[in-house]
Amino acid sequence: MQELLGRIAALDPQASLSLRVIACFDELIVGNVNTRGLLSAAASLAGCHAGFRQDHPPRTLRVTPRGELADPGEPAASSITCDGLTVWIERDGPARVNDTIILERLALAVRIRHGRGRRESDNRRELGLLLDPAVPVEDRRTAAARLGLTGPTRYRVVAAPLFAVWDDHPTGAEDVIPTPYGPIHALVVPHDHPPVAAAPSGTGLAAPVEHLHRSFRTAVVALRLCAPPATPSVLADDYGGLVGLLADTPIDADLPDVDSLDDVMAHGWGPATLDALVRAGSVRQAARLAGVHHSTLQTRLDGVTEAVGFDPFEDGIGRTRLGIAYLVWRLRNSRVLDLPAPTHPAPAVG
Amino acid sequence: MTSVARPDFDPELKAGLAVVGGVFPPTITPDLIAFMRRSYASPPIEDTLRGRAIERSEHTIAGHRGDPVGVSVLRPAGASGPRPGVLFVHSGGLMFGDRFSGADLVLDWVDQLGAVLVAVEYRLAPEFGDPFPREDCYAALEWTAAQAGRLGIRRDRLMVAGASSGGGLAAGMALAARDRGGPALCGQVLDYPMLDDRGVTPSTAQFDGVGVWDRISNETGWTALLGAARGGPDVSPYAAPARATDLSRLPPAFIDVGAAEIFRDESIAYADRIWACGGDAELHVWAGGFHAFDIFAPHTVLARGMIRTRDAWVEKILAD
Repeated sequence: MQELLGRIAALDPQASLSLRVIACFDELIVGNVNTRGLLSAAASLAGCHAGFRQDHPPRTLRVTPRGELADPGEPAASSITCDGLTVWIERDGPARVNDTIILERLALAVRIRHGRGRRESDNRRELGLLLDPAVPVEDRRTAAARLGLTGPTRYRVVAAPLFAVWDDHPTGAEDVIPTPYGPIHALVVPHDHPPVAAAPSGTGLAAPVEHLHRSFRTAVVALRLCAPPATPSVLADDYGGLVGLLADTPIDADLPDVDSLDDVMAHGWGPATLDALVRAGSVRQAARLAGVHHSTLQTRLDGVTEAVGFDPFEDGIGRTRLGIAYLVWRLRNSRVLDLPAPTHPAPAVG
Repeated sequence: MTSVARPDFDPELKAGLAVVGGVFPPTITPDLIAFMRRSYASPPIEDTLRGRAIERSEHTIAGHRGDPVGVSVLRPAGASGPRPGVLFVHSGGLMFGDRFSGADLVLDWVDQLGAVLVAVEYRLAPEFGDPFPREDCYAALEWTAAQAGRLGIRRDRLMVAGASSGGGLAAGMALAARDRGGPALCGQVLDYPMLDDRGVTPSTAQFDGVGVWDRISNETGWTALLGAARGGPDVSPYAAPARATDLSRLPPAFIDVGAAEIFRDESIAYADRIWACGGDAELHVWAGGFHAFDIFAPHTVLARGMIRTRDAWVEKILAD
């Protein structure tokens, strides 16, 4: 895969290769891939041997970039040791640009694969149990205690894609959680923690540990409402009770109001106009929010009214219908979890 | 989210897609052909051959309509006496790639098994539609057989091999050689072959927008080759071997394919019909495998298994 990374860089010098390395390891973690598989991926990405050593019981593993076993050897200079587990990559000559991220992610993945305190009956890690409402509440409390989340304090879950860029990474329980939208990086912070500077990211509603799954679900909704670069992060609190409703709406629910927005949103003016209509109390205010003339907005409003089949300003229910349809449409069409492909301009990250 | 039921990708392969997707998007439309020609171009052959005891020579042969077509001959260094021969047909959806695309996987046959590999630069669609690609390949097969003495190839141990579109072309060559009384073949290696232009199998509908080479990509490839004839009554079985009604009297076939790719069903059907006709076929379906996973993620458990299994079959057929 080193060769593929080289091709991507040649095709698109702006592409973030570190982002792809991160996404690769996150899938390996979610897929519960074993140590040899993790080393094979690291060696393949780096184009050189990768190794692993554990202290107790003593065990060493080295693999080639083709995933074949190599003779045991000593850790290379470029290594990470944590909890008695050492991983390394054997670069001859100067380090390459992705070496650090490959080694870092390999170390994280190996630690998780060798996770401490794993339950016999359920091989998910503690945070995965805590955030799953199907797990009995007593087990969730136990998981919370193991994670150091105790007492009556309320917490929030921050949800981010695996490739998010964290300007500031708070310490807290964190893990990668599988969801229908792909693996999501979840981090738990106290309810009064200042907003987390990660893009893109969504921060869930505050909840006690027994209901932290609710915070996670609302955090994922908030995340999917992000639209970088304009809206790099979203707080579920900004949507109050609506966000819970959105979290409970199946993505394939039959909602004609939402379908009717497809044509409107396809217009260049669609997203900004709908956003203004949903937030404003009057056509005049909506025009101001959208930064267009009153008559221009009125024309667009007529178009929206025709498309959806009701006038959003006719009464309060109309605006509520439009507002909910607009939010669900944004969730359905969210691209925030897509790993940018090199055929598209990549965000300036990594 | 999609509501189509489909087998999951193997976790190691799924991880590989995070990288592969940057070079090979799941859905290839005609406007992406130019991008794919850059992204799927093979690395310099000198790099691929470095450290291997392989000698390379370049030749120009008469392709379809006598037009010049390039072939490379790769032979084990210092080989003495006639060797088994392999005509290798590259992958690339009929529209991109070059004669060395994916060749690193077959080079072991040269320096480990002692075979002479002939790689043909068949002309690509859409600039060159049917029959150019398949007749360029067939011309290379006839040339290889005719020049066997000069190339140091045993005429009684000649095999065709190809992956994806190359697998389809290899299968078409085996059919044409049988029907035209052409060179005798000792085997055909069809890796996840592109056999059927009709796109009607369940697996074709299962992998839209995910993995490598989805239904849309396949339509793009077949349309580039066949134009309006795609899916209609007038498609040659040498272009789309799934169209062949008689699969008897063919050389032994080795067919491998992923369970999580669109070519799963047409590959299984081809093997099944060879058996029904009394022929010799070996079929391997790799659970969780996306299209061409051995090319894109050769370091994974699944790919190592696929490569090992294929190489063992080729050794059985080719080795002295």
